[in-house]
Amino acid sequence: MSPLNVSPKRREYEVLPSLNVPGIPAVAPLPSGETEDTRRIVERFGQDILAAGLHNGLQTVIVKPERLVELAQFIKDEPKLAYETIIDVSSVDRLELPIPQGEPRFQTVYQFRSYRRKKHLMVISPTQGDDDHPRAPSLTSVFRGATWPEREVYDLMGITFDGHPDLRRILMPAHWPYHPLQKQIPLGGEEVPFSLTWDDPEFETLGTQILPAESVKPTLPPGMNRRHMIINMGPHHPSTHGVLRLVVELDGERVVKVDPDLGYLHSGFEKTGENKRYKDFVYYTDRMDYLSAMNNNLGYVLTVEAMLGVEIPERAQVIRVIMGELQRIASHLLWLATHALDVSGTGMSLLMYATRERELILDLFELVCGARLTTSYIRIGGVWRDVPDIFLDRVRQFIQAFPGRLAEYEAMLTESPVWRERLEGIGVISREDALNMGLTGPMLRGSGVDWDLRRDMPYSGYENYDFVVPVSQRGDSYGRYLVRMEEMRQSVRILEQAVANLPDGPYKTNDRKVALPPRPELDLSMEALIHHFKLVTEGIHVPPGMYYHGIEASKGELGYFIYSDGSGRPYRLHVRGPSFNNLYALDHMCRGAMLSDVVTNIGSVDIVLGEVDR
Amino acid sequence: MGIEEKLPEGILTTSLEALVNWSRQNSTWPLLFGLACCAIEMIASGTPRHDIARYGSELFRASPRQADLMIVSGRVSNKMAPVVKRLYDQMLEPKWVIAMGICASAGGPFNNYAIIQGVDKIIPVDVYIPGCPPRPEALLYGLDKLREKQGQERFTDYTRDYARKELAKYQAIQALTPRKAGR
Repeated sequence: MSPLNVSPKRREYEVLPSLNVPGIPAVAPLPSGETEDTRRIVERFGQDILAAGLHNGLQTVIVKPERLVELAQFIKDEPKLAYETIIDVSSVDRLELPIPQGEPRFQTVYQFRSYRRKKHLMVISPTQGDDDHPRAPSLTSVFRGATWPEREVYDLMGITFDGHPDLRRILMPAHWPYHPLQKQIPLGGEEVPFSLTWDDPEFETLGTQILPAESVKPTLPPGMNRRHMIINMGPHHPSTHGVLRLVVELDGERVVKVDPDLGYLHSGFEKTGENKRYKDFVYYTDRMDYLSAMNNNLGYVLTVEAMLGVEIPERAQVIRVIMGELQRIASHLLWLATHALDVSGTGMSLLMYATRERELILDLFELVCGARLTTSYIRIGGVWRDVPDIFLDRVRQFIQAFPGRLAEYEAMLTESPVWRERLEGIGVISREDALNMGLTGPMLRGSGVDWDLRRDMPYSGYENYDFVVPVSQRGDSYGRYLVRMEEMRQSVRILEQAVANLPDGPYKTNDRKVALPPRPELDLSMEALIHHFKLVTEGIHVPPGMYYHGIEASKGELGYFIYSDGSGRPYRLHVRGPSFNNLYALDHMCRGAMLSDVVTNIGSVDIVLGEVDR
Repeated sequence: MGIEEKLPEGILTTSLEALVNWSRQNSTWPLLFGLACCAIEMIASGTPRHDIARYGSELFRASPRQADLMIVSGRVSNKMAPVVKRLYDQMLEPKWVIAMGICASAGGPFNNYAIIQGVDKIIPVDVYIPGCPPRPEALLYGLDKLREKQGQERFTDYTRDYARKELAKYQAIQALTPRKAGR
């Protein structure tokens, strides 16, 4: 294979001393203080805990890599800690930070969650081995849910996990020459030729980024047996909801194994985010889960706001809740439409009906921000603009009409024999498996875990709303269907309360270090002008530190992990996409089922490939 | 004047070319193929409010062998590019391509290691639609532009094009085929 030519040089603007890096980059301060949980952990592990305490309000433990697996087992088994599930695995490359001599360059970062105790724990561990070949112990023996996130860390950051059962690239093509998130690797891409003539030598560079075809030739995943029939679904397949490739091993018509091949829509969001200023990444979040842009905006801005410590005005919070719930309904409607299209005989008509309601919601979005899908409406410090006067009336009209329509859909599906036949008992996940695999959202609630971040770790004032978290004990696709349908109803309830209690007041924060001053003020006040200039040229400065924040997006827990070095850009930005972790369950759900049930299961997981691949 | 005078009422005359172009314009079947955000707007254009059926394009075919039009709806990654190329190659002539949205047209906001900076690097594009994502109306306008283009097509272009391609294919096969020993 010929060596790949992916922008070998850093582009000029990447090495220029930019306006938005003031001072020296700083490492995140160590956690301080103690909580009950960290005290227990320190008691047990003593000297092997490098630091423990609270960091930006998060319980944080820094542990030596030798005892990481033991720690994970301990916090899982100890009944007074009971961290039942792993939410996320990410990593930091500290190459450009002034780390003390002798400390390794890479760190792995884990997020654990106790649903029973409503606690979150961040565990950080430096890597073993030298800086060119970092290694970390794998947590897959304790939490199955770490399998894919660790593969992702290996793929993008190049950290090898010892003891991982299936460590290969997951997003990038198998023969990709480097690990893109490492800091010495340039962002890549192509020079933009500022020329209009085809004779320009700049055009010679075009097309060098494209891989030769043999480098992405489908290979047989390890462990699959040619004596069985291997069927390739996708990446172009009508029912995979995007560019997902499944390699299905079949014994007759029974599924033996499913190996999802991801990355056909990998767009380098994390690397791009690390090259953008904080406020500029809001626009990218829309394009990740493009079915629930508002929730993506919200998750990101909440993370940055928590690091900044800004207060968001009441009105902005309620507007955010309204948008988030409308978006949840819109996302669930498209899930319902495509799921029914795949599975049931009534498919096409339901697609037509459900998109009718979805268009009404998109109209509302258009009213407030002019865009239908990629809204970028929720910004750091508040929202982009106040809602127009007509908006609330339109939302009320929608709330009035929608429950009746929803009942129509349920009448078409819930008791329909075809629908029940295709969904009941298909893709069963037990409660223990759901926790072990790190599933979130309707996938978790469909397996009988009563957990919703909106209720249990409230943000944006969700504690003020009265709503029920639907839970199904069934664990199958039908249970997840029931949960999502009821969630739409509950979203309407939240909307009713929010619309009735929308307070007056500012729609964005008054903090001049975060939000631009109002335009009229610029003509009168020198100070406002200075703030405006600083914000536009330098952007927002987030104090050094790291933070993880998760919200309940329509597909599950959408989390953002940010490591700030005090400059205007995130030093490390990691997104925990709910679809990515939920899709891991597909293999588990499909084993032993019929081939046609694979399609049911894909629809039931509710994935968006933009978010899976990021 | 001419043959029309001799014909009974209700019969029109036209050239075969115009007739074929007319039928192609009014039943361009797209490939059922979505990549990213734009694919959602493509679905929306198929739903009742926008109703792409008015243009005869409501039949999204899952097999590239039955499709005339490829709507590249979203960003094309390095891993996806060979797949897109293969799908295009599998479509039968005559075929058209719409690059929907800025990502498919020029890479959009993703100028990075992962994304091909415009799908026209791998397949020829007939119509580019700006927007991120373009509204369904914009897609319909793009279809309209494509219809204009389809209306101007000439048979002679096809035959010349076709002959040229066949010759190139033949020569490539000749060059690749190993000669048997003793010949």
